[in-house]
Amino acid sequence: MEHRWGMVIDEDRCTGCEACVAACHAENNIATVGDDQAARGRAMHWIRVERYYEGNFPDIKVKFRPVPCQECSDAPCEPVCPTYASYHNPEGLNAQIYNRCIGTRYCANACPYLVRFFNFLNPVWDKPLNLQFNPDVSVRSVGIMEKCTFCIQRIKTAEIKAQAEKRPLKEGEFNPACVQSCPAEAMVFGDLNDPKSKVSRLSRSSRATKLLPELGTHPKVTYLKRDTWDNGQNA
Amino acid sequence: MDRRNFLKISAVGSATVALDACGKPEHQLIHFIPEEELIPGVAEWKPGVCTQCPAGCGLHVRVMEGEAEVTRHGQLGLLNMGLAKKLEGNPGHPVNQGRLCAWGQAGLQVTYNPDRIRFPLKRSGPRGSGEYQEITWEEAIKELVSHLSSLKSPGKPLPLAFLTGPLYDHRSVLIEHFLEALGASPAVRYEFFEQTVLCRANELSFGHHQLPTFDLANANYVISFGADFLGTWNSPVAQNLGYGTMRQGRPGHRGKFVQVEARMSQTGANADEWVYAKPGTEGLLALGVAHVILSEKLRIAEAAGEAGACIDGWSKGLPDHTPEAVAKMTGVEAGRIQRLAREMAAHTPAVAIIGGAPLAQTNGLANALAANALNGLLGSVEKPGGIFFTPQPPMPGLTDPKKGLSVRALAEGIRSGSAPVEALLIYNANPVFGSPTAWRLQEALGKVSFIASFGSFVDETSILSDLILPDHSYLESWVDNIPQSGTTEAVASLAPPAMSPLHHTRSTPDVLLDVAHQLGGNVGKALPWKTYQDMLQAAFDSLRSHPGSVSAKASDDFWSEVQEKGGWWSAEITKSPARRGAKSSAAPAKVAEPQFDGSPQEYPFNFLPYASLQFGDGRHANLPWMQEMPDTISTAMWSVWLEINPETADRLGIKQGDLLEVASQHGKLQAPALIAPGIAPDVVAMPVGQGHESYGRYASQRGANPIKILAAQTEPETGALAWASTRVKITRVGKKGQLILFAGGLREWPREYRHR
Repeated sequence: MEHRWGMVIDEDRCTGCEACVAACHAENNIATVGDDQAARGRAMHWIRVERYYEGNFPDIKVKFRPVPCQECSDAPCEPVCPTYASYHNPEGLNAQIYNRCIGTRYCANACPYLVRFFNFLNPVWDKPLNLQFNPDVSVRSVGIMEKCTFCIQRIKTAEIKAQAEKRPLKEGEFNPACVQSCPAEAMVFGDLNDPKSKVSRLSRSSRATKLLPELGTHPKVTYLKRDTWDNGQNA
Repeated sequence: MDRRNFLKISAVGSATVALDACGKPEHQLIHFIPEEELIPGVAEWKPGVCTQCPAGCGLHVRVMEGEAEVTRHGQLGLLNMGLAKKLEGNPGHPVNQGRLCAWGQAGLQVTYNPDRIRFPLKRSGPRGSGEYQEITWEEAIKELVSHLSSLKSPGKPLPLAFLTGPLYDHRSVLIEHFLEALGASPAVRYEFFEQTVLCRANELSFGHHQLPTFDLANANYVISFGADFLGTWNSPVAQNLGYGTMRQGRPGHRGKFVQVEARMSQTGANADEWVYAKPGTEGLLALGVAHVILSEKLRIAEAAGEAGACIDGWSKGLPDHTPEAVAKMTGVEAGRIQRLAREMAAHTPAVAIIGGAPLAQTNGLANALAANALNGLLGSVEKPGGIFFTPQPPMPGLTDPKKGLSVRALAEGIRSGSAPVEALLIYNANPVFGSPTAWRLQEALGKVSFIASFGSFVDETSILSDLILPDHSYLESWVDNIPQSGTTEAVASLAPPAMSPLHHTRSTPDVLLDVAHQLGGNVGKALPWKTYQDMLQAAFDSLRSHPGSVSAKASDDFWSEVQEKGGWWSAEITKSPARRGAKSSAAPAKVAEPQFDGSPQEYPFNFLPYASLQFGDGRHANLPWMQEMPDTISTAMWSVWLEINPETADRLGIKQGDLLEVASQHGKLQAPALIAPGIAPDVVAMPVGQGHESYGRYASQRGANPIKILAAQTEPETGALAWASTRVKITRVGKKGQLILFAGGLREWPREYRHR
């Protein structure tokens, strides 16, 4: 059976440290746009940590939520692309084919999670920062949309290796950069088609929820709500 | 001539411009002969040690072949070499267990930073102008040796000062030997967010002059007084790991986390219960909680042992710290104090953490002793779920560093002439940025005739150097590290260079060894090793006879295996002998009320500088990934800001982004306002890290540095800077400042609306 890649993000474990944000930039050759472009809303954080305030001082609550591309099963960004640059791959990922993209930006317009980013300018890396590029990932140029791919380069590398060694992929054999780096182990990645995988089991947790479920996008990222202390009943 | 030069000359002959049709400049560069054989596209994973903060996490470095534009023999050309591409945590390392924080990930941008110093430099313009000329290593070392050998001061310590950061490795040992053999005073060790107060408190309470380690994975109740332990404090990756397990790693079993502070930090945002206590009163709150536990007979006073004995009134049950009395002093209701105390005592293992602002007060030491006593009372000292002290690996050379002067005392001694310094060496420290203007450090440095720096960047301190001998970046160096916290195992991390040096830099420990040999005499004898690698090999060999993570027995095999694994560690060594210095002869401590600089009438706000998630104490401001990474609480990028309570802002007519002038009795600065629902109405906060005058293209002339306006107030026993004890006043400048937010930023706003 095909793999169907999914993720679980546990908001009770996430501490908002942003190791995932930094790891993603390093892995995926994401451009740093600079202060002027960032002020124009053009910074490209494929994964971001959202911060929500509730209440007023001193009864104030703050919650964090890391948001990567949700890899929706019914992705609104796919039907709107005139060149099929945004397409649904056989493993359930919403893949972005950079060569096909002509930069209409309609996919970003359609995405309710605001996880798609456009290269308004040709990215610039002051040498020798360019030496850090991951050779497994294309470097995008101006006019191209980009977004989180669940580190598809890592998925492909692992699949090719497993195929060459004539064996199935093992659970936990590889992870996207964000999942691998997370110090609180808040992110889990794996095959949703395997009911025994950690990601499948956690998706069925009583705390499980999805973002904007009413839109019918069927995202493959499941969030586990922050838990409560319950006066020590679960301590 | 050697093979490399011969082949290089042939290459110049054949790779002529005429053969190249596309005219691209890089194709006109010659190709140097590669020094290593790597298959393009195939990654090799090498061990590493992260030095981005003192935690010392273990790394796995992904090295792949690539083409680097480098200068060799004075010629710019292309070199195929192994390049570090990605950093991951070393899964086997006891501190970080395969995980890595944002600073760790950004380490690649230290090695590949465009502003790195590539050659030894000699000052060619006025001091501080930043004008330098490139010289050779021979010239640089000759000059350094010449200056050092000309220093004389019979009967007194040599007028040489070595300024460095806290180092827990054999570089520290090397520096100590070097200075001692020269007859100079011990190194001056400085970092702004120093741990002096906490280490002293731990020495008094528990017998360990050391940072604490917390077994959060097994804790049921964690109360943190001001410590940003999930962000920037102590050993963040290890603490995050334990925290994650405490929350959801034990099915049916979830620990409670309470954070006590005056400003909602990234760490505090994760708390089940967030408690606002007036700045500097956290120790009083800890004693209030302890009082309830004692008065309700949930524990007996003696349970706290030595830690309890450090507190005045402990054995009598802390009569002055009733919930009502403490409520008045801290602002935390009496009922809440009682409930917290009962919860803690009923849900053990319970552990108290203290760090950050509560220790940076005039009563900082007493606050720490109070929290330590609470730990003693709760029975969490060296018990599962509690507070531990990382054992030392049995390496004979690792003695505790001798105590040197503080930076403040160094500056005073130079200015007054009581402790003149003719030569200053700077390594891994930037106190000109990281010290209050009130210390007048820059003025003092003006009186030092010779300053040499080993750093990789021209920052505020190294720009005053006459000579720069640039170090390799850590990925290009032999690195070792002895973690002081973050694990209950004894650990000695080690890694060889993951890649060859890009530029004409030299490992500073090797440079010091070279200098020592040229100086000869005592110094040469004190440092017999030819290279730092030899010193490390000898030091690590002493671990061979102890059971640990390395199984090889023969010397050479052991050395190879230690490098492969990224270090040596052992769970067999569970305790280190207590490291006790001179015990304070003073009576048990009273937790006094904190003293603030500036009257409340004229300076109505407590000023709270805090370690920023992106830059720490400012050292990572030159990394573009960190400038663009949105701050978790504010989502701000490339900015600095002043956090202000929404009601206070309304009252003063301040809107988001308004440029404010912030003035203490010692200076003023400007920063845009950030409306922060999580900060107390009479507290304002500012992240540390921006406001560099010189630190490369990404960091320089950006924002403001809160350290500059701090009062030189100290915690009296340790002399540590009480950086949270300054009061300020605020006025609107009348225009907007630069505040770039990621939140709400995914659409282009017209210029007028950019300060959302």
